[in-house]
Amino acid sequence: MTTPGPVPSVHVRSAGSALPGEPVDNTALAAALGVNEEWIDVFIGTRTRHFARDLTSGDIRWTLADLCADAAANALENSGTDPAEVEFLVLGTATPDHLMPATVNQVADQLGLDQLPTYQLQSGCAGAVQALSVAQYLIGSGEFTTGLAIGGDVCTKHLDLRRDLSEAAPGDLVNCVLFGDGAGAAVLSSRPGDRAVALRRVLNRCTGLGREPGQIIDWFGLADRDEPRQALIEDYKAIEESVPTMAVEILWELLDSLGWAAGDLDFLLPPQLSGRMTRLITEQLGVPEAREISCVADTGNNGNALPFLQLERLLQEMTSGQKALAVAVESSKWIKAGFALEHL
Amino acid sequence: MNAVAVTGIDCRFPGAQDPGAFWELLMRSGDGTGPVPPPRWDPSLTGGPTEGGFLADADAFDHEFFRIPPRDAAAMDPQQRLMLQCAWRAVEDSGVAPGRLAGSPTGVFVGVMGSEWAQLTLTDLPGITAQIGSGNGYCMIANRISYHLDLRGPCMAVDTACSSSLVAVHLAVNALLTEECDRAIAGGVNLALSPALGLFYEKAGLAAPDGRCKPFSAGADGIGRGEGVGAVVLRRLADALADGDPVYAVIRGTAVNQDGRSNGITAPSRWSQQEVLATACRRAGADPHEVSFLEAHGTGTALGDMIETRALGHLHADRPRPRPLALGSVKGNLGHTEGAAGIAGLIKTCLSLHHRTVPVSRYAARENPQLRLAEQGLRLLKAPLRLPSGEPVLAGLSSFGMGGTNAHAVLESAPGRAVAGTRRAATPPDRSGVGLPEPSGSGLGAEVFVLTAPTERALHRNLMAQADAIGRRRTPIGPLCRASQRVKTGHGWRGAVVAGDSAELAGRLREAAGALRPTGLNASARPTAPTHPTRSTSPTSTLSSPTTEPPLTAWLFTGQGAQYPGMGARLYRESALFRRHLDGVDTALLPHTGRSIRDLLLTGDPAVHRTGWAQPALFAVGHALGATLTEVGVRPALLLGHSVGEFAAAVHAGALPLEDAARLVAVRGSLMEQLPDGGGMLAVHASADRLRDLVEREPLVGFAALNGPRSTVISGDLAALERIAESRELDGVRLRRLEVSHAFHSPLMRPALEAFRRVAEQVAGGTPRLPFHSTLRGKRLESEQLDASYWTEHIEAPVLFADAAAQLLDERPTHLLELGPRPVLTALARRLDDRSADPEALGRSTGPVALHPLPDPESDGRALAETVAALYRAGIDIDWTAAAHPARDDTPARLTPYAFATDSRFWHTGGPTRTTAPGALVAVREEPRAPQSDPSSTDAATATPPAAVTTTATTPPPQDPVATAVYETVAALGGYDPTALSHDSRFHDDLGLDSVALVELKERLTERLPAVGALPVQELLPRLTSLGELIGYLRQETSV
Repeated sequence: MTTPGPVPSVHVRSAGSALPGEPVDNTALAAALGVNEEWIDVFIGTRTRHFARDLTSGDIRWTLADLCADAAANALENSGTDPAEVEFLVLGTATPDHLMPATVNQVADQLGLDQLPTYQLQSGCAGAVQALSVAQYLIGSGEFTTGLAIGGDVCTKHLDLRRDLSEAAPGDLVNCVLFGDGAGAAVLSSRPGDRAVALRRVLNRCTGLGREPGQIIDWFGLADRDEPRQALIEDYKAIEESVPTMAVEILWELLDSLGWAAGDLDFLLPPQLSGRMTRLITEQLGVPEAREISCVADTGNNGNALPFLQLERLLQEMTSGQKALAVAVESSKWIKAGFALEHL
Repeated sequence: MNAVAVTGIDCRFPGAQDPGAFWELLMRSGDGTGPVPPPRWDPSLTGGPTEGGFLADADAFDHEFFRIPPRDAAAMDPQQRLMLQCAWRAVEDSGVAPGRLAGSPTGVFVGVMGSEWAQLTLTDLPGITAQIGSGNGYCMIANRISYHLDLRGPCMAVDTACSSSLVAVHLAVNALLTEECDRAIAGGVNLALSPALGLFYEKAGLAAPDGRCKPFSAGADGIGRGEGVGAVVLRRLADALADGDPVYAVIRGTAVNQDGRSNGITAPSRWSQQEVLATACRRAGADPHEVSFLEAHGTGTALGDMIETRALGHLHADRPRPRPLALGSVKGNLGHTEGAAGIAGLIKTCLSLHHRTVPVSRYAARENPQLRLAEQGLRLLKAPLRLPSGEPVLAGLSSFGMGGTNAHAVLESAPGRAVAGTRRAATPPDRSGVGLPEPSGSGLGAEVFVLTAPTERALHRNLMAQADAIGRRRTPIGPLCRASQRVKTGHGWRGAVVAGDSAELAGRLREAAGALRPTGLNASARPTAPTHPTRSTSPTSTLSSPTTEPPLTAWLFTGQGAQYPGMGARLYRESALFRRHLDGVDTALLPHTGRSIRDLLLTGDPAVHRTGWAQPALFAVGHALGATLTEVGVRPALLLGHSVGEFAAAVHAGALPLEDAARLVAVRGSLMEQLPDGGGMLAVHASADRLRDLVEREPLVGFAALNGPRSTVISGDLAALERIAESRELDGVRLRRLEVSHAFHSPLMRPALEAFRRVAEQVAGGTPRLPFHSTLRGKRLESEQLDASYWTEHIEAPVLFADAAAQLLDERPTHLLELGPRPVLTALARRLDDRSADPEALGRSTGPVALHPLPDPESDGRALAETVAALYRAGIDIDWTAAAHPARDDTPARLTPYAFATDSRFWHTGGPTRTTAPGALVAVREEPRAPQSDPSSTDAATATPPAAVTTTATTPPPQDPVATAVYETVAALGGYDPTALSHDSRFHDDLGLDSVALVELKERLTERLPAVGALPVQELLPRLTSLGELIGYLRQETSV
């Protein structure tokens, strides 16, 4: 089925998202965790987030597969794409429901899709961009026309409501108040549909040779389940230091590769760490003419969902002739990621 | 364009009870074949095939659903029974309620090549009955469908041996294209009841020793017989697309020919096969090399496979195609389903195009090298073939008859769904001015799923079937509900549930099922008699429709005091219908209020408590609720409005145009607000009589509302009210000072009267066209006009709610709908109802049901949808098209089709043997099996049943000799289980007894009840429709 000839251009037809339940505000979160509400406001700057786990009962109300399937279905609906047109699925996540079966295959099942290639990329915030990258290559190969790129995370796995946090160090506390749950998805196709938003460039590069990870999420098996290791470790000092610098480099690398000037940008989708960090990074990126599209202050840091949540908001505003650029940094092994879009 | 769309499919094949299971069987390359099951034949006695593809439950038939007496059902060829059920389900799958096709020019074409039932039953000459006549004959297999669905298009059975059902499809396609019919059911059925044909295959050297077809395989060694039944619903593609029908695939061209004087009558002919393939392609306007895959006849005989691949090679060898033609045959999974072979291949091809995947051909891995397929431009489907999406794909389908009648069809994938575009971008611009997004649910704000069935048991079974199917995968709920409203209405027992997503829907359907007590679920098992229907011990009737009185709904419009900031705002956000009607009232009010009432409500402005806003706001909410219900088909039978609520009631009664009512309410509120403050109102827990002297002593105080025997409101000057409150006569009486700005319905209102009258005189109030229970008069208005003097008097006079409502309740409404922002009047009315300790009322199990579409500030669309669902269950026919979201075009989903009962079984005993022992027809009724244990059903016994399904009282079993005689005679006549009958069972509609049977009934009854004397049957027939009526008549006759 491979057709020789020019590489097809890849378009983002639509995006969709799924956020579990009602937003949880800082008052409710502070009460549930026994931490100081004002501290969340000032140092994190995130107003609300959504949780797949019920804060009171601790019950899991949505699995990652549930959220990803909902987001994908919404994305399909937003462009009127028939699910039968979907020829592949790529999911980026750091928090799969199980190690096997890969969550992407449960998503396929929920969407009623069968007999198609699926990929799951184990990654943090860069996973969503990596999913776009794989989708771009698949469609660019000419073998596929239309597919879904999905990103999602269910971070509440590590939100232990039984812990007493009154004595916890700030670094430990951050982990509890930074994150949220959610999923996003985009329909990509060589056939644009009724709006032509071209995916011009995707950047995905590991730059962490010899560097200590900025973030570790561990997992436990039968043999080591009782070891007193922390499941989630973040080096916030290193993150605060490196991420803004890396973000600026990503911005310029994408602009240069496309021959775009900073002034050409109509929209900027900056990295979504927390309300406060995103504000700081956006200032350093220094493209005030571009309209900022951010969501983390309302959605919490839900990992691989974020770029798709931004994309969904972007598509609602973007009009013909406009350009947009997204920047993401994964601090685990210092991955640079980003993508550029142009509305034809 | 000569294209015909396949819009509906149903089937049962070996190892697959429905199309979903069939597709799964194909995708896992499953084997549906197995040993000959009892009670078909015993190969150790008869010889012939020991294995093959057999249908499970081929003896089960839901005769009750089709109102066929058990005696008739027992005599019917099971091929008739299976085809009838299959046709019904295929029509449902096509998105149409089968009942809606009654009288339509719908054609029926059924392929069949054997009636082994006739061989078994017609050879027992002494056993021949009238039922056996209509129970046999190929034609009856098709004609039954037309009869039971009342279809008026061409109807025929087709026998061309193994190509029968594809030839039937060909005839159906032609009948559609020549406009002989607008819709067609095409199908085929095949049951192996006798080893005879298998013995023939053996003698002719065509039988596979293991009973399995192995198409194009090195191991191919002959035919294994298979059973099956399948049907498709066909429409001209243009019609299907115009109506938004879901399409599985498109038939682009078909052809049929004969091989004439070939090399022996049963020998296949390569030339003739080439010809029929080429003709079908030509008709489809397609070159053979454009075809991506082909479902072959593929019987798995050495000669047949060789000739078929050579004929294909003629068209495909050395052709310019990227890959060789992919080839497979479903016979590897099912065996050769003979008369149903063509439809099995067609359904497989349609599902392949629909799922965009062609399953593997079982046994293809070991390809027969002698066929040299590669040289013929062919390749066997050794792995599933994923078809490209987004572009049309062509498929071929062959079916060849043993006698030389060959058929071929060219199919195409369904045209892509028109891309609706970015839904959000396509949303019409927001005109509300308050920046609200378009409501997301149905027009009501929440989705209603409906389901009907002819009996309580059937409703239970189908609720569970839907719950299981819907619970399997999360799907958008809108298309599911839309499909249910289109397809699942029409039977007597109604279920309707409201849900937010498919998972919740599955749960609600299970709850609804749990609230039913289907007959016989607790019956203990009894041994079955060999030649009679078994009598079940079920306590209530299954053979009657629910006796539902038409619902009588009273609409009560709430008055002042019920308002609160933001009332109706959530509903406005969720329900497109309510939104449109509230916008409409707002437009009518705006010239008189000067500010948008809608915006006042949506912003939650506390000014709504000021009477100048409160009155028009309550009018707006009440009227919009009523208009919403009217739009979906609910009509008031009785109307009542409390004080200012009477304006909306008057509009719905047709006594005031909306614009005039809006003007009056706005002026009324505004004039009252301009009155000086200083008035108040006092609610007193006492009768008006007890207060009368006190009130008469105070000239500035009057009765404002007489709401009940111990609920009175007085109104007037604050100081005077205080004197009354402090008076010795009211010691120990509960009092409540109402928080009001003015003394409504009191002498303090007098200064507003003249100004109001001057406006009211410009408005022509008419006489209510519906029963209008006036709270001004305290009774139903007869001829009084709602004119200026009525509305002027209305301002000062007391609200006689108790009298008006009591008279309204005397009309015995079944439902009280409160149209206002919180339940006030329904609660008052319930107290009045309790008061009326009417001895007759004790017999009624319940009073009127109170419904509230907007019970509290949190009300989104759910309460409104629940109200509509409750009214639908009660028997009101809802206009579901109007209730759907106007701005949304949800293509209905496909629901799992009707689940037929399997507890009645009919078969022929004895079976064919080499001895001459006669066989016998038997009807076997198994005890109904208890449903799967379900947590919600255990609660049902104690909890009040959630009113998700209708329930009905059933008549007790007969006790006197006349009734016993009637029950037993009817039971014997129709072969019914007497305990399944009831007084409500109707001779024709429920029991399927025709006039001939009724004459026989008369004769038997005259014999059994000599006291009755001669029955004038001519007179009786039109008047007596049910058992109860006949028993009543006979009792009268015997007592004379």
